[in-house]
Amino acid sequence: MASMKNIKLRIKSIENTMQITRAMKLVASSRLRKAQARVLETRPYTSLLKDSLDEIANSNSDFSSVYVKKREVKKKLYIVFAGDRGLAGGYNANMFRMIESVTKNENAAFLPVGKKALEFLKKRDAEILSESFPLVGEVSVSDCYEMSRIICKGFKNKDFDEIHIAGTRFESVLSQVPFTLQLLPFTPDETEGPRKVATYDPNPDDVFNAIIPEYLAGIIYGVMCESAASEQGARRMAMENATNNASDMIGTLSLTYNRARQSAITQEITEIVAGAGGGEE
Amino acid sequence: MPAPYKLIIATPDGSVYDGEATRFIARGMSGDLCIMARHENYVTSLGMGMAKVEFADGTERLAACMGGMITVFNGECRVVATTWEWKEDIDVARAESAKNRAESRLSGKDKLSDHDIEIAEAKLKRALIRTGVAKL
Repeated sequence: MASMKNIKLRIKSIENTMQITRAMKLVASSRLRKAQARVLETRPYTSLLKDSLDEIANSNSDFSSVYVKKREVKKKLYIVFAGDRGLAGGYNANMFRMIESVTKNENAAFLPVGKKALEFLKKRDAEILSESFPLVGEVSVSDCYEMSRIICKGFKNKDFDEIHIAGTRFESVLSQVPFTLQLLPFTPDETEGPRKVATYDPNPDDVFNAIIPEYLAGIIYGVMCESAASEQGARRMAMENATNNASDMIGTLSLTYNRARQSAITQEITEIVAGAGGGEE
Repeated sequence: MPAPYKLIIATPDGSVYDGEATRFIARGMSGDLCIMARHENYVTSLGMGMAKVEFADGTERLAACMGGMITVFNGECRVVATTWEWKEDIDVARAESAKNRAESRLSGKDKLSDHDIEIAEAKLKRALIRTGVAKL
């Protein structure tokens, strides 16, 4: 049995760890709330843009934009969102596992966002398009426009034939699922019902080509918010589990400590009694 | 008094306005445009410039609007702007300092790549529109 002093020290250190994990959990919860609110705020923007794009793509039969035309896929580009820091349960690991399996045997380049994503891709010796977005926490709306500009240019120059985005969908605090989404070429959804007739100023193609970068930036921003929410959700759960485990450990250790203390006392009494008995004889 | 119609203004940061208006003026792809009630179905993308919304009670609000698009379908007008700042929300000091920063960057133009020049010019333009709207 470990000595009482050692047990006491361990309890102390676990208590310290528990304090940290509890604080991290609280921080993650408050950040999660903020991130969730941001996700909801961007939704009307992207859905309005998407509706208009679908509308334009479906309403004329002779419609042909570079952004819609499919071509033979020689090279793909993935925008990968991961966290800046670890200690977020399976958040980063799940994302990397998915990237690993999706891009197997593919000629792909990457645009990492987040420190962990950059580290992971560097370790794999993957082709990295730009390292100018290392911190996911500091990415602003204008950075999303910048990313959208880069990918539109790359797509138009035929540097990449397909562009995908990889993020983590926030389903609930308990479950976050990594996913990929194809950004370009843009595949319009079929709109239902009769077509809406509208005047396009100056013409549908120009309007479509002007909207696409905006739409992509909106989507990128949306995926980023969603991933940020997922990261905080995953971290919150991980830290909650760590806090619970710590308190369980403290429970068992206190029990052992008390047992050790009691047996030490019992032994002392026995010794005293034995000593006193020996003196009488 | 012009008739009111439904106007929605949304940006990536959330919904800006959702309600009635009588007139909406902004800079479109091929010049300034004005939307009033019973406008035909219409779609265009927005440039950068001043926007004005007039309400049924005769009041009007100015804003700096950068990029995005505008759609009118069945009498409902939706404005999806990249950024939208009401005149009273514009931080003039920030816009001025952004303007000065962009100008000083552009003064050393030879050292910059085309891409940097493009960014600095776009920043300058945005800053000029902001300060311009704020001073109106």
